[in-house]
Amino acid sequence: MSYAYLFKYIIIGDTGVGKSCLLLQFTDKRFQPVHDLTIGVEFGARMITIDNKPIKLQIWDTAGQESFRSITRSYYRGAAGALLVYDITRRETFNHLASWLEDARQHANANMTIMLIGNKCDLAHRRAVSTEEGEQFAKEHGLIFMEASAKTAQNVEEAFIKTAATIYKKIQDGVFDVSNESYGIKVGYGGIPGPSGGRDGSTSQGGGCCG
Amino acid sequence: MSMEASELQDLSDDADYAASQQQGSASMMRCDSEKRSSSSEHEGAELIYTKDNVAIHPTQFASERISGRLKLTKQDSVLFLSWIPYKGEIPNAKLSDKDRSLYTITAVPFTEVRSIKRHTPALGWQYIIVVLSSGLAFAPLYFYSGGVREFLAIVKQHVFLARSAEDTNVLLVNDFQSPLQRTLSSLELPSSLPVASGQSTYPSDGGGSSNDNRISILSQYGLRKQKSHDPTRDLSIHLLEKFSLVTKFARETTTQLFSENNGFGSIDKRRNNQPVHSYPEKLSNIAEEKHHESSHSYPETDRLDNEEISNDIDVPADPLEFNNLSLVWGKPRQSPMGREEFTAFLDSEGRVVDSKALRKRVFYGGIEHQLRTEVWPFLLGYHAYDSTYAEREYHRSVKKKEYEDLKLQWKSISAEQAKRFTKYRERKGLIDKDVVRTDRAFEYYEGDDNLNVNIMRDILLTYSFYNFDLGYCQGMSDYLSPIMFVMEDESESFWCFVALMERLGPNFNRDQNGMHTQLFALSKLVELLDTPLHNYFKQNDCLNYFFCFRWILIQFKREFEYEKTMLLWEVLWTHYLSEHFHLYVCVAILKRCRSKIMGDQMDFDTLLKFINELSGHIDLDSTVRDAEALCICAGENGAASIPPGTPPSLPLDDGILYPQDDDIL
Repeated sequence: MSYAYLFKYIIIGDTGVGKSCLLLQFTDKRFQPVHDLTIGVEFGARMITIDNKPIKLQIWDTAGQESFRSITRSYYRGAAGALLVYDITRRETFNHLASWLEDARQHANANMTIMLIGNKCDLAHRRAVSTEEGEQFAKEHGLIFMEASAKTAQNVEEAFIKTAATIYKKIQDGVFDVSNESYGIKVGYGGIPGPSGGRDGSTSQGGGCCG
Repeated sequence: MSMEASELQDLSDDADYAASQQQGSASMMRCDSEKRSSSSEHEGAELIYTKDNVAIHPTQFASERISGRLKLTKQDSVLFLSWIPYKGEIPNAKLSDKDRSLYTITAVPFTEVRSIKRHTPALGWQYIIVVLSSGLAFAPLYFYSGGVREFLAIVKQHVFLARSAEDTNVLLVNDFQSPLQRTLSSLELPSSLPVASGQSTYPSDGGGSSNDNRISILSQYGLRKQKSHDPTRDLSIHLLEKFSLVTKFARETTTQLFSENNGFGSIDKRRNNQPVHSYPEKLSNIAEEKHHESSHSYPETDRLDNEEISNDIDVPADPLEFNNLSLVWGKPRQSPMGREEFTAFLDSEGRVVDSKALRKRVFYGGIEHQLRTEVWPFLLGYHAYDSTYAEREYHRSVKKKEYEDLKLQWKSISAEQAKRFTKYRERKGLIDKDVVRTDRAFEYYEGDDNLNVNIMRDILLTYSFYNFDLGYCQGMSDYLSPIMFVMEDESESFWCFVALMERLGPNFNRDQNGMHTQLFALSKLVELLDTPLHNYFKQNDCLNYFFCFRWILIQFKREFEYEKTMLLWEVLWTHYLSEHFHLYVCVAILKRCRSKIMGDQMDFDTLLKFINELSGHIDLDSTVRDAEALCICAGENGAASIPPGTPPSLPLDDGILYPQDDDIL
């Protein structure tokens, strides 16, 4: 499928916060409570449309356990966007955000767009981190923020697309040299000049093909 | 894609090579001697010695030998060596006159000879290899009528010969204790596929019948650059680089024979105190011969024929001609070992009489599933091979009690205590989360409230107390899952898992040191077995081999279906050819994809994704055969590429096994 741009995303955060579930919900529109834990990295991809331009998101879903950090760091290279995920029902996953952010700042390019996601917001009765705390952390560190639920799909689509829209805007503003792939953006063939018949405006299309 | 082209890449920075390119590679063998060729038969040159029926083998097939006459002449008190092929003797249409002249040695003065390596087996062909001071080595000269000793005796009358301290079969010429020259004998030349047992059956009368084509395909190596500052090593690299200038076929032959004494048989010797031996079966195996013949007739250009060449990118040729190699060397897989066969390995009291034979059998065919519960404990080292039925029964009962005690350590932690025991809570939390994410699609673990999932949780938690320093790490449940499925007993599963972690625990070290060591060893093996691919990875910043991380961390558990994984694991756990056979499996898979990887110009990201997506598309049997071929082929050099203590080797010392950070879970 042709695309105007390809954005590389990386999903990071503590183990068990729902990184793989967010990805699956986004690419396949389903929630699978029973799936194998991630070893190393898994990949997903989906086409979305922003400003009538087809954009392919290539998403790297990483293993969250501390031991694998040294490996995970090598995946940041060339990522345009990062979804930093914590679990609103587990305080410690929120407490670890700073160290994840430090990794990201250190190993990704400085213009990487980071979206902070408080996942499992369907479990409000077990909430251990308030929305305000999430917002505050995001504000302090210059991140975009959303609470989402991979289970109910609430805000999942929005989180991925808003991140892409932010990256897209940075391209428009000339923040990136898109010919330099270290920014995690590849210019595709087809669709870059003007409206290319994007089907449904600013929302998404297509599904979970890998590629 | 010609060999020259791939060498060009490897050697582009080598001045001698550049010079050789100007001359044309055909002249390489005689570039030093050409100037003197006119004087070689001068009047005044005294004929010291002649020997007929001395041949070289320009290809891997002995039938394609070129016979000729070896001569020693002396002029102005300098001894010269020459070897001239007989005129008009073209044993095989494949060998042109050009080939013949290529190997001609025209009056090389011994002042330029650095050493002579001799090979004089009691049975079989004797040969010598002459290495020049420039580093060039001539193709081995086979004395079809014997007489190597006589030849050397005559040489010794005219030049100073000293036996190398390191290798008694290497004779240093005019070596006046120069340290530089002495190091020559410590060359670690690439070893490859000796056909030792086969060779001993060869006629020594020089009969060049078509049967001789069994001499087989040989491995050959391009450059081997060890990152070491050891000057000895540097010299050997230097020689190897020169060595690689010798034409391809000559190199194949030379390399193999040069290293015959330290070929793959010595892996067994090293690791298992077994005598050096080869595969006697190989020559009697009809299937193998068939393969052999087919490889014999392979045209050069077909060597990549079952690889998909993805586009126009010039992919450097595989220096091992891998496809042919595995056909010849990877033995056909056997059916799994059944009970009757297993029982035959046991004496009346249940001891495994010949553990090596048992491991070999498992290596080549695996184990029928019902039998795994009995054999895995041996392979994993939970039961000793020489234990009796009764001893194992007793061992089980003692261990069961021990397990229950260990389990009680965390079972007895009260809610109040747990509140004050963060590490315990965190570990338990991790394990609780992961056991419900382990093989749940597999029948044994599927469904809500699955008892086996609870047992897995208990075992992992108990293990994290048994080995508190290592604790729990993701990936452990991937190992435990098949073990539980096979052992069907909590305590037995636990102890088998413990035994496995004795070797693979370092995979889960917090500092990932065990993983990095293995990835490093893998890079060394690829460097050895596929230099062009290694160079490609190097150029594309892929030398960390992180794209093989998952393969190694959980030994391909995610790459194959459940049953195949169990088969692969028991093959790996035999440690039959190598403790690090899994690394050869990695190389085998990478080599199968080499044209795709290089042809598509994959960068790190693309490569990682590509490797990830191979999952479920790798054929196990052919991969194991390939890996076997590579392992045999790499021989001692393969073993030497793997640093001591690399998992799953047992740790080198009894120091701290699992280094701790201060801020750990």
